[in-house]
Amino acid sequence: MEVGRLPISASQRGKLISAGYTTLSSLSSLSPSDLALGAQTAWDMLHEDEMFPRITTSCLDLDNVLGGGINCKEVTEIGGVPGIGKTQLGIQLAVNVQIPVDYGGLGAKAIYIDTEGSFMVERVLQIAEACIEDMTECNGLLRKDFQAGQLKMHPNNILENIFYFRVCSYTEQIALTNYLDKFISEHKDVKVVIVDSVTFHFRQDFDDMALRTRLLSGIALKLMKLAKEHGLAVVLLNQVTTKYIEGSFQLTLALGDSWSHSCTNRVILYWNGNERYAYIDKSPSLRSASAPYSVTSKGIRNSASNCKRIRMM
Amino acid sequence: MELLEDAQLNKHVLSTGCEGIDLLLQGGLRMGQLTELVGASSSGKTQVCLLATSNVAKKHMDGVVYLDTGNSFSPQRVIDFIRQNPDPAIDQAKHRILQKVMNRILCHSVFDIFTMFDVLHQLEVNLRSQMQKGDCQVRLLIVDSISSLVTPILGGGGSQGHALMTSAGFLLKKLAHEHNLVVLVTNHTVGGEGGISKPALGESWKSIPHVRLRLSHDQGSSIYNVSVLKHPSMASGKAARFTIYD
Repeated sequence: MEVGRLPISASQRGKLISAGYTTLSSLSSLSPSDLALGAQTAWDMLHEDEMFPRITTSCLDLDNVLGGGINCKEVTEIGGVPGIGKTQLGIQLAVNVQIPVDYGGLGAKAIYIDTEGSFMVERVLQIAEACIEDMTECNGLLRKDFQAGQLKMHPNNILENIFYFRVCSYTEQIALTNYLDKFISEHKDVKVVIVDSVTFHFRQDFDDMALRTRLLSGIALKLMKLAKEHGLAVVLLNQVTTKYIEGSFQLTLALGDSWSHSCTNRVILYWNGNERYAYIDKSPSLRSASAPYSVTSKGIRNSASNCKRIRMM
Repeated sequence: MELLEDAQLNKHVLSTGCEGIDLLLQGGLRMGQLTELVGASSSGKTQVCLLATSNVAKKHMDGVVYLDTGNSFSPQRVIDFIRQNPDPAIDQAKHRILQKVMNRILCHSVFDIFTMFDVLHQLEVNLRSQMQKGDCQVRLLIVDSISSLVTPILGGGGSQGHALMTSAGFLLKKLAHEHNLVVLVTNHTVGGEGGISKPALGESWKSIPHVRLRLSHDQGSSIYNVSVLKHPSMASGKAARFTIYD
């Protein structure tokens, strides 16, 4: 019997025929897992994970609590009070994704979506130069048999590999999210998308809260799909707001309860005395821990304090 | 009468792998029922799903289909759970057995409700043809989370969102009943009146799952609280605590 005559929906018929199964006999010998088009077994996923290196943050403590760095195929939300270093971290990641594979990086490009106008090109140049300096130093220390000048990267190359989009309203933000799929299909070496900040256009004077929830959850799903299908990391920077919980006002990330479920991982940046700390708030596989970091002229680096400890919660 | 026979013969209980929850549910998750896990962000919903996945694949040796909407399915975490209760029989041929167990778990990434319908219909077809074979039977179906698929289409003046949500619920219950599956879905919370959070998806969804459990987590510890919001044979309000180890 032909597959075309089977009483199944048109889309399923199409999928079966395009996969090459035209008669019933070819189907009868398969197990359900073979027919599961678009699915993966957990075993395959485990081994695929090993092929996707993480993006370092240039701060060893922070990398350690993140399990090596920011993970590809996941949406990571990073939130904190103003001035804590969110944009700095975003810029650092946009530079670090370009570290060549030989140096343990991804050798890929970055997309930076700026909604607030806080992207300073001079700062990116500064961080890029510091990154190249560190790599050359590493080159000198470890690879004494290599010739000097092996590293042919120039800060301008790093700037060229960051695709910058400036977004001025929430409709533009949604339009850009829809467009990103096509853009990334044309630029397959993009491995990180940073949105700084995802909150900005949804906070001011949004009258219809229900509409806001729908739009934000739609954006979240599209970004998830982008991360999974193209194997890239999506980093969303978020602001904080106060919320009335259990009788007191507490600081929480903006955009409400529904949005808090729209990321795979969440990192909260906060002040502890004079030090900046990052806390893993939500993760399917990392344990809750916090790590200190600092913002220097070279970018995000390890905290300079003497008693550096990673506190396990 | 036939229903009673069916319930006694086919609709057994599946342990979640977590003693606290099993005790609360008088054994575990019941086949043929749609169970919902509601909780705020980071309250342990995905962890319970991963724990149940590892338990069904390892101890019951049955298949699991995991629909993931937030890229939260972590194979490494499933392995952590599998390794938590070492079985002397397993230690010998560890690698191959681990591979067999992991191969029973199928993960689909779905990012919109229509894809979910496609996957569920395909699963239905597969399950019907599977009934003849003695191969690995799918026993557990997880949708983590169904609320992220429904929230973008719910409300806004049209009723299509509600219709899709209700038909998704009915399809899941139908799959559970006809193929003796345990169906587990996760839902998030939204702010309600007076600042008290309530489950998302509204009033129409409330009556769809058979069992509704509310999870919460004390921040900074590994202790989780679970309470019964709705259960066909138990009073609501019963609560328990459980621990998920790192």
